[in-house]
Amino acid sequence: MIGAVLRAIDNLTGRGDAAVTVPALDGALRPNRRLDEARTRWPLPGVDAIAVLFGSPVASAGTTLYRLADGTAWQPWRKFDGRIACIAAIGDEGLAVVLETGDILIEGGSSEGRSYRVPEGLRCITAIATSPTAIFLANGSATNPAPDWQLDLMQRNASGSLWRIDRDSGKGRRLADGLAWPAGLALDGNSLVFSEAWKHRLARLPLTGGEPVAVHSDLPGYPGRLAPAEDGGAWLAIFAPRSQLVEFVLRERAYKTRMIAEVPRPFWIAPSLRSGRSFYEPLQGGSVKQLGLLKPWAPALSAGLCVRLDRGFQPTASLHSRADGDTHGVTDMAEHQGRVFIAASGDGVVVACDAGTGEEGSLR
Amino acid sequence: MSVSDTLMRWRYRAVPDHLLGEILTKRWIDNAIPVLILMAVVTVFGSAIPDFFGASSLANLLRQWGEFSLLVLALMIVMVAGGIDLSVGSTFALGNIVALTLMSVAEWTMPAAIAATIACGAAVGLVNGILVGYLRLRAFLTTLVTLIIVRAIVDMLLLKYSVAIAGGFIDSDAWYYLGEGFLLGMPFSVFMTLVIAAILHLVLSRTRAGWHILATGGSRRSSHNVGIPVRRVVCITYVVSGALCALAGLLFASRLGGAGADTGIGLEITALTAAVLGGNSLGGGRGSAVKALIGAITVMIMVNSMVRLGVSSGANSLLLGLVLLAAVAIDVRWLKNRHKLLSNVYVSPTFAPLPPAPATEGDSPYALNDKLRPVELIGLGAIDGPEDVILDDDDHIYAGNRTGDIVRFLAPDYKEQEIYAHIGGRPLGMAFAPDGALLVCVGGMGLYRVTKDREVEKLTDETNRSLFTIIDDSRLRLADDLDVAPDGRIYFSEATVRYDMHEWPVDSLEARGNGRIICYDPNTNTTQTILKNLVFPNGICMTHDGQSFLFAETWACRVSRYYFAGPKKGKVEPVIPNLPGYPDNINRASDGTFWLALVGMRTPSVDLSMRMPGFRKRMARRIAPDEWLYPNINTGCVVRFDETGQILDVMWDLGGENHPMITSMREHKGHLYIGGISNNRIGRLKLDGADTGWTGPKSYWGRT
Repeated sequence: MIGAVLRAIDNLTGRGDAAVTVPALDGALRPNRRLDEARTRWPLPGVDAIAVLFGSPVASAGTTLYRLADGTAWQPWRKFDGRIACIAAIGDEGLAVVLETGDILIEGGSSEGRSYRVPEGLRCITAIATSPTAIFLANGSATNPAPDWQLDLMQRNASGSLWRIDRDSGKGRRLADGLAWPAGLALDGNSLVFSEAWKHRLARLPLTGGEPVAVHSDLPGYPGRLAPAEDGGAWLAIFAPRSQLVEFVLRERAYKTRMIAEVPRPFWIAPSLRSGRSFYEPLQGGSVKQLGLLKPWAPALSAGLCVRLDRGFQPTASLHSRADGDTHGVTDMAEHQGRVFIAASGDGVVVACDAGTGEEGSLR
Repeated sequence: MSVSDTLMRWRYRAVPDHLLGEILTKRWIDNAIPVLILMAVVTVFGSAIPDFFGASSLANLLRQWGEFSLLVLALMIVMVAGGIDLSVGSTFALGNIVALTLMSVAEWTMPAAIAATIACGAAVGLVNGILVGYLRLRAFLTTLVTLIIVRAIVDMLLLKYSVAIAGGFIDSDAWYYLGEGFLLGMPFSVFMTLVIAAILHLVLSRTRAGWHILATGGSRRSSHNVGIPVRRVVCITYVVSGALCALAGLLFASRLGGAGADTGIGLEITALTAAVLGGNSLGGGRGSAVKALIGAITVMIMVNSMVRLGVSSGANSLLLGLVLLAAVAIDVRWLKNRHKLLSNVYVSPTFAPLPPAPATEGDSPYALNDKLRPVELIGLGAIDGPEDVILDDDDHIYAGNRTGDIVRFLAPDYKEQEIYAHIGGRPLGMAFAPDGALLVCVGGMGLYRVTKDREVEKLTDETNRSLFTIIDDSRLRLADDLDVAPDGRIYFSEATVRYDMHEWPVDSLEARGNGRIICYDPNTNTTQTILKNLVFPNGICMTHDGQSFLFAETWACRVSRYYFAGPKKGKVEPVIPNLPGYPDNINRASDGTFWLALVGMRTPSVDLSMRMPGFRKRMARRIAPDEWLYPNINTGCVVRFDETGQILDVMWDLGGENHPMITSMREHKGHLYIGGISNNRIGRLKLDGADTGWTGPKSYWGRT
């Protein structure tokens, strides 16, 4: 009762849960243009996940795996029956490929041909992490498939779960559920660090049992996949920025409901991997072009952001593509020999950046 | 339309939300709380005391109120100038004893006695004024000291003359008339107080002297800096205060005819309570005669009612003290929070549904194309925001810019530019008058003319005040576009009367009919509003029949036609009822049709929000303007249509590379010239098959 009254007051005054404040991009997340300035850019429309197998990057787009064969352009390598949900390299055993259909296939290594099944009923695999004995999966939502992530956000669901598949028996076991779109996994010793997108946080789940504990909270965007860094720590893809307007719409139940029902999805007021392509998309005040220019600080529903995390999973540096940039919607990344390959799904491009510059704000 | 939409429509029709905010912008709203308190006091004591509203009770109250109000007015004058006068009670007593002594002991004539009494009070005020005003002593301490000294003088006078006064008799009907007579059905003292209050009100609100007083109280330093003789102003307020107090004492003397040691004791606190309770700020700069009167009535009723209720005198003072405390607290909080309240309630979006937007693909007349791709750019990077462009007989281009200039690009290659005239404000729509002068709507200023000798003249900056609006809509805030009728009358649009130029996004949130179309007649030099409650009226263009013009309503996404002459005079007809974007300027095309600029395109999210005013209102309150949902004005197009509203041609620039924003276009000798309010360029497009001899001035005035 008291809680309801307090919520009503909060709603009236815009405080507490009704507050639409978004943390500023500051400190390690101070904006830059590193993603746009990357010298190496390999276009790959629809690119989603990326991994490094035997020293060369492999990327998924739709139902196809691509390999950067000669280092200049993407070549189709394997094609599957269903959309590829996510991929991860397992040492020299090969590449674990999770398909939307529920199959987990090992491709291109010593374990080529082995396969597993995703536990029954999971339709929204968003991320994978592997160890010699197990495969860990994140299921974003119990009700929506992965491409409907915007809908899941608008519904403010928290029905995601984490799973462990034993590589010997192939049996699946649920580690946690009730999560708000878990979208990235990283193994860290005896625990699993995962990103919880709709709660804008990273959390740690002890594999020995226990409840998840927040590692880093109140990120200025929606955190997605995690990838290991070569000298410890990890990389975090932030696939879309938070914005005051979206936070506000999330709290406006009537508008949200009608928007979901009446407005075509590409034109929703919702974060996206790439915005600003159609004039039917919502426009915000700061995004009005002045003297023919879109300001880099303009509020946007999409952006590119890849964050370097230290061993404690705290941000130390970041790579950005701002409102006027062209490397939006970072969904995955993989580091190899001092270079990090970043898949920008929104703009359908993979860029390669130096993983460490040795200068101020260095990624190491 | 769904049931909830229908309900919403009626809700927003029935309740004029915007009025609350408009009332709060008014200065007189400061009186709201004092009036409420007065009403509460009347209700409470009116019901607690039997016969409260009886004739004898009221008459008695009124007489006392007359004298008391003079004291409060005296205090108000000083407070408004930023000071305080604690000696009002003593001066009142001094006026009383001086008047009685002069009349009954010295047996002066009445006019002489009145003049001397008032002079006596003024002298006390002058002492205060010199000490506080010229010698810059602290007002509080200084007047506290005068309170004591004057009280001492009164006591000395009492000692000497009280017996004589008690024994003497004043043989003058006129003298008793002051205290006991009636004029126009009210006690004379009340009549006089009302007259003095009216004079003070006029002085404070309508005269230079009054403004000086208010300015001094509002900010002494700033007043000094602008050349107001601050010291003299302060001194004069004390003199006036002293004179008014003595006058009150005189009335008291006439009414009661006796001098006692307790006359006027504690009156300064009662008067101060009344003044502050009425809403006169202790900090100065804010106050009026009406506030003083309201406060005086409230306190008078309270004090008298307490006496009649038989409350002991200690409790009476206690109540006064508490009321004073509360009044000061309210004064401070109100001053501090009024603006916050105003900013929270002023923006009041309304239910403004639009029909489903026409498509921009397939066989729609608005289907996308790349016709604007070959636009040549003029003055790229050399002009800041040409909202409108116009060309003269010699092919020179004129365009307004953000810094208030009219810039001229010189034919034939438009490489060179010059500042043709500097007006200030934000030059928007332009047109040529029959004599070749350039007529300009200037946002924030009004309607201006730049003659061929480059002289800038104001044509009009105000129109008739609407009778039933709360905000004063006589001043032009956002004159937008104009056109000239064949008889020389100038019709121009004012986009909104509620916001200034740079606040247009807020008006788009409201989407109410805040705008109007106004006619300026140069023959009689008069300005008249002819159409009201339009939704951001923007472009205006004369049709070819000489009896009507077309006008665009931006947030309503429609173009209509208004007849100002002929058989359909006064009628408005829809021409294009539903556009896929937000219309801006309209201009004539060479083949008798019209060009229309769509400054932006409708987005489904905004169209939905137009049906949900509460959503827009909360958005305006919760999130920063840079984050607001805007109409999409990053992409626009040029539309050609005829008088029947048929769409003949649409020209797009996909991606907005050349023209992110199109607010106007002007055909001239086979080319189309394009302006945009946030662009840094002017576009020039060759039109295929257009009349290469056609110019705007020729079309309007038949010249070559």
